[in-house]
Parts: sequence; structure tokens; C-alpha cells
Amino acid sequence: MITLAHYIILGAILFAIGIFGVITRRNAIGILMSLELIFNAVNINMVAFSRFLTPEGAYGELFTIFIITVAAAESVLGLAIILAIYRKRQVLNADEMNLMKW
Amino acid sequence: MVELILFYAFAGVIIFSAMLMVLSRNIFHSALFLAVTLLGVAALFAMMGSFFIAGIQVLLYIGAVVVLTIFVINLTKQVIGQDAPQVNEHVIPAIITSLLAACLIILAVLKTDWGTRIAQSVAQTELTDNTALIGRQLLTNFVIPFEVVSVLLLAALIGAIAIVSRDKEAEK
Repeated sequence: MITLAHYIILGAILFAIGIFGVITRRNAIGILMSLELIFNAVNINMVAFSRFLTPEGAYGELFTIFIITVAAAESVLGLAIILAIYRKRQVLNADEMNLMKW
Repeated sequence: MVELILFYAFAGVIIFSAMLMVLSRNIFHSALFLAVTLLGVAALFAMMGSFFIAGIQVLLYIGAVVVLTIFVINLTKQVIGQDAPQVNEHVIPAIITSLLAACLIILAVLKTDWGTRIAQSVAQTELTDNTALIGRQLLTNFVIPFEVVSVLLLAALIGAIAIVSRDKEAEK
């Protein structure tokens, strides 16, 4: 039988993979994609909590909708910033974007 | 029994493709593996009975975010070489950090007493579609967050256009 713990452990593993990707990726687009993994781990947890603990209100599902919307907005803005930096300075790696580093 | 097999199959697909996405040397392959991961998560949502969220996941994540990412990858193709090293020097701290985070969450989950409500799990109660409930909640209890999120989307739209088109005006 699948319990709530199964879903939360899967979410934790996906979260850890996302953290690993955010820290180790050199490419800024790769960092944004790893961020999407972290959002999805949170979404799995939200839907599982809603389904197992409060099925009468669907609160977790509502928050999942808001998280997906905010993630889409964040992804659009991040990609726009990456594209603008690429046009100006022809770099794409996060460790070469050191314009504001003292 | 079928539920168990399906859960482990989808979990395997999700974890395997997420690992491939993080470790792949080619950023374009990474984007494709990200699409596979998101599809597996959508299948899990459908397994939990949230059909509306599963549809939103496919439409918004795979249809919009991954396609947009692939567009940006193709627009910046010259820099992204086929064999560029994609991993920086922080591999060991990253492994330690992510393993610690995962162990912490898993330990906390296994040690928590979830109460009696978990006894009646999804398998026993029949899966009912809660799309109507979500719609009713969005227009009654959650109407203010709904409006705020729509304003946020409008701001993101205008901001993205402003950021990307700025240096084109400077050239003229």
C-alpha cells in the first residue's frame, strides 16, 4: 500500500537531486532547469499532503497551482535575463558572470 | 498491487531522468530529460487523483517552460559547445549538502506520527475528481491570491519583454 511517506521520500530525493544540480551546474540555463526540479519536489509533497490529510478542501492542490504559476513567471524572467546577458557579454556560465563581483 | 507497481515504475522514471538531467554534459539533452521528469510527476499527480493538476503540469511545464528553455538554448547555441564541461568544482560539497538534506527529510518523515487520517489512504477511498472543488475554492476562499497571481503574471510578461528588448533600442 502506498502511504504518504512514499510520496514525501520521493519528493525528498527529487529535492536533493535539484539541490545538487543548482550547486554544480556551470550553465545558467542548467541552474534554472534544476530549480524546476526543486519546484516539482515541492509540488509532489503538496498534492500528497492534500490528498492524504485534507481531501475535503484541496488546499494543497490550490497551492500547487500558485506554485506552478510563480515558477512559470520566474522561469520566464530568468531566461530573459540570461538572454540579455548573453547578448551583451557573450557568456552563459554562471561563474563567468562576475560583473558585480568586487 | 497495481498501484504499487505503477508508483515504483514512475518513481524510477522520475529519479533516473532527473539524475541524467543533472549529470548530462549536453544542455539540450538536459532539457529533454527534464521533460521526461515532469511527465513522470504528472503521472504521479494523476495517480493521486488530481487530474486537473496533472493536466496543468503537462500544459504549463512541458508545453511552456521546457519549450521556452529549448528556445533559449537554441538562441545561445554558439556558446554551448557539445563537449563543454558542465560541472564546476563544487561537486563534493554539493553531494554532501544534497545527501544531508535528503537524509534529514527522510528521517523526519519516518519519525513523524501522521495520526489516524492516514489510515484511510487513497487506495481505500475511491479516487474522486476534485476539479470542481478547486474551481469553487479559487473563486471563494482563494480569490485574493488568485488575483495577486494574475497581476504577478502580467508583471512578469511586461518585465520579460522590457528586459529582452532593451538593448535592441539602444542599437538604433
